Amino acid sequence: MTTTRQPAVPTIRPPAPDRPSSPPPVPARRPSRVTTFVRGHWLRTIPGRLRAYAAAALVAVAVLTVVLTVAVDNARDGVQTIGHDAGPQVVATGTLYFALSDMDAQVADILLIGRERSLGIGYDGSLRRYEQRRAAAGLAAVQAAQLAGNDPKRRKNVQDVLDGLGRYERLVGEAMLLDRQADHEAGKLPANVVTTYRQATDLMKLELLPKAYNLTLDSGATVRQSYESKRSAVLTGRAWVALTGALVLLILLAAQIYLARGFRRLVNPALAAATLLTVGLVAVAFGMLSAQAGHLQRAKEDGFDSVLALSRARAISHSAFADESRFLLDPGRADTYEQVYLDKALSVLYVEPGANKPVNLESYYTRLEEELDDFAANPRTIRFLGFFGDEARQSATGAESVALGQALQGYRTVLRNDRSIRELAARNDRAGAIRLRMGRDRGAIRDFDAYDAALVKLSDAHHAAFTRAIADADGGLGGWRAVPPAGAAVIAVLVLAGLRPRLAEFR
Amino acid sequence: MRVSTNVAVAAALAVLTGGVLAGCGLTAPEDDSIVHKRSLVIGVKADQPGLGLKKGDRYEGYDVDVATYVAGKLGVPPERITFRTTPSSEREKALRDGKVDMIFATYSITPKRKTQVTFGGPYYVAHQDTLVREGEKAVTGVRDLKGRRICAVTGSNSWKRVTEERKVAAAPVEAADYGDCLAKLSAGQVDAISTDDLILAGMASTGAAVRMVNAPFTDEKYGVGLRKGDLAGCEAVNRALTEMYQDGKAGELLDRWFARSKLRTVRSVPQFEGCS
Repeated sequence: MTTTRQPAVPTIRPPAPDRPSSPPPVPARRPSRVTTFVRGHWLRTIPGRLRAYAAAALVAVAVLTVVLTVAVDNARDGVQTIGHDAGPQVVATGTLYFALSDMDAQVADILLIGRERSLGIGYDGSLRRYEQRRAAAGLAAVQAAQLAGNDPKRRKNVQDVLDGLGRYERLVGEAMLLDRQADHEAGKLPANVVTTYRQATDLMKLELLPKAYNLTLDSGATVRQSYESKRSAVLTGRAWVALTGALVLLILLAAQIYLARGFRRLVNPALAAATLLTVGLVAVAFGMLSAQAGHLQRAKEDGFDSVLALSRARAISHSAFADESRFLLDPGRADTYEQVYLDKALSVLYVEPGANKPVNLESYYTRLEEELDDFAANPRTIRFLGFFGDEARQSATGAESVALGQALQGYRTVLRNDRSIRELAARNDRAGAIRLRMGRDRGAIRDFDAYDAALVKLSDAHHAAFTRAIADADGGLGGWRAVPPAGAAVIAVLVLAGLRPRLAEFR
Repeated sequence: MRVSTNVAVAAALAVLTGGVLAGCGLTAPEDDSIVHKRSLVIGVKADQPGLGLKKGDRYEGYDVDVATYVAGKLGVPPERITFRTTPSSEREKALRDGKVDMIFATYSITPKRKTQVTFGGPYYVAHQDTLVREGEKAVTGVRDLKGRRICAVTGSNSWKRVTEERKVAAAPVEAADYGDCLAKLSAGQVDAISTDDLILAGMASTGAAVRMVNAPFTDEKYGVGLRKGDLAGCEAVNRALTEMYQDGKAGELLDRWFARSKLRTVRSVPQFEGCS
């Protein structure tokens, strides 16, 4: 066919707009059920109305059930993650940092005492503790590896820590061998021991400890994100339960009014029962979800966060205590170790140095005493910051505040000892300084152990709060797998039971 | 009769749509975190060679490169980053007012600042160290500054760490800024500059005839300043920084900016502060 050819058939012109073409003849046929439904004439009949109410009520109840089930599942997931899976595992990885830093502390003590093997907790005691911490570190690394799952970056982090630990142990072995060969007096280390130990402790401080610390922080971040999303999902779910509950109630009330007017009966008992049951179910579910959000919050903020923060504070305190030993064993780096001690003290408990005062240990000792006196006199004046600052703001009452008071008192004593040790060292009485630092029955070790015990007690108090909150959450969720479908089924049956007899009147 | 049911249905619908809107509002609590931003404004220094230095309308230095890397990991390419000069005194306010989204500007993490700012990182732990003239062999540590003239930059705390905190009897000589210090050191008007090693290394890399002493005596944690409370952003920054050290980029950047100064840098990831 070419374009030039005329069409054989004359084109049919469209009908003029003012002359509507007659519609094609439609065979007389009953409209389909769908058409009837869409037209909605049936809605104007009484049985149609009744069926519509029944259907609307059942759909709304079904939606309520779904919404409630999802909300309960979210709450259950949140409790599972924080209370049973990741939460406790993250806390367990926190011991990695502590174990590593205490390993290095034990090495410092062993090297410091030299041939005077009964000083402090003694050569054997330190070695035993070193082995214990080594085992604890291995165990915590396993937990960390599990938490890392398939994430390649996190796995690499765990792997790096383990590799570094191997190198560290080799260096420590070397330092200890040289130390035994030197057979030196306490505090008089030969240069080759100091040099080798410096390599080991630098490796620990610059590579191992940061990585271990970051591991716990990163997995803690996962718990926080999961907590935030689950808690907000529970609260959103709660709002949806209230809304869909209100919808069910509106429909039931509308049906009730319709029946009362149309059938001249005051109350339809079955519908009334369905209404009451809905009110009850929604109220109880709303309360339960609120309580779950509260349990999650307590478990996370009062439990998990505090336990993690205190385990960091404890690890930092131990490594600061070891910096006292390092300060004595390596005079060449005494300035650095003193500064590092101050930095650690400031992160545990920060006080302002006061106007125009330098930030050094001297001003810290003075201001610490003043701030702690003020806090003891009036626990509401918390001007200090750092781990203990957060803790003081968090634990204002109960067992936690008592334990906090003891920990702060212990901390004060530890710092007083530190002051005496440095004053002795400054007067060139190194033997006296070492005696005080390594004194077990009376002296720095005994006081530090008392402080450490108070810290553990404080952490235990938070752990108890955590366990309580999780137990409450588990208890609160008991039975909530069955309640939503069962409640919905009963409401549905009641709705049908209420409307069916009225429908029957039209058969 | 019909009116009343229609009203009821309308009311129910209204309640339901209201609920949808409310529901959306509830599920997005961290909308203003930097992790959701398409573009970022980053505060940097403009006058520190090697860290943050403005040349024409461009900024360059270690801080600038680290910021670019981190922004990239957050999904913001270099062309959507705006750098802005943020002097030390204005950093907290700039974050609070939303003038900048992040700060990479030799911003030391301190317990006091942590009450106003959420810190990611640190991305590097700098240490106070000493810079002397090239021929000077007698200074091996901060104690050797006794009796020597050190540079005291107006408004800076660094020299006080020598004379007041460490009680080393050095003689402070006033200077306007570290550029002035370097000029005075070269001219023999001061004997040493004592401040963060990265700042010293940046100056040493400009080609002046100076020597790093490499005897650090403090820890300065250079953090990433974020709006207080942006925990999701802080966690994302920390993950980016972990990667920066794992993939060797951190070492590469440290070499690029500080290798000439012969500063011994740490190539392992620093201990993070924790997001709060």
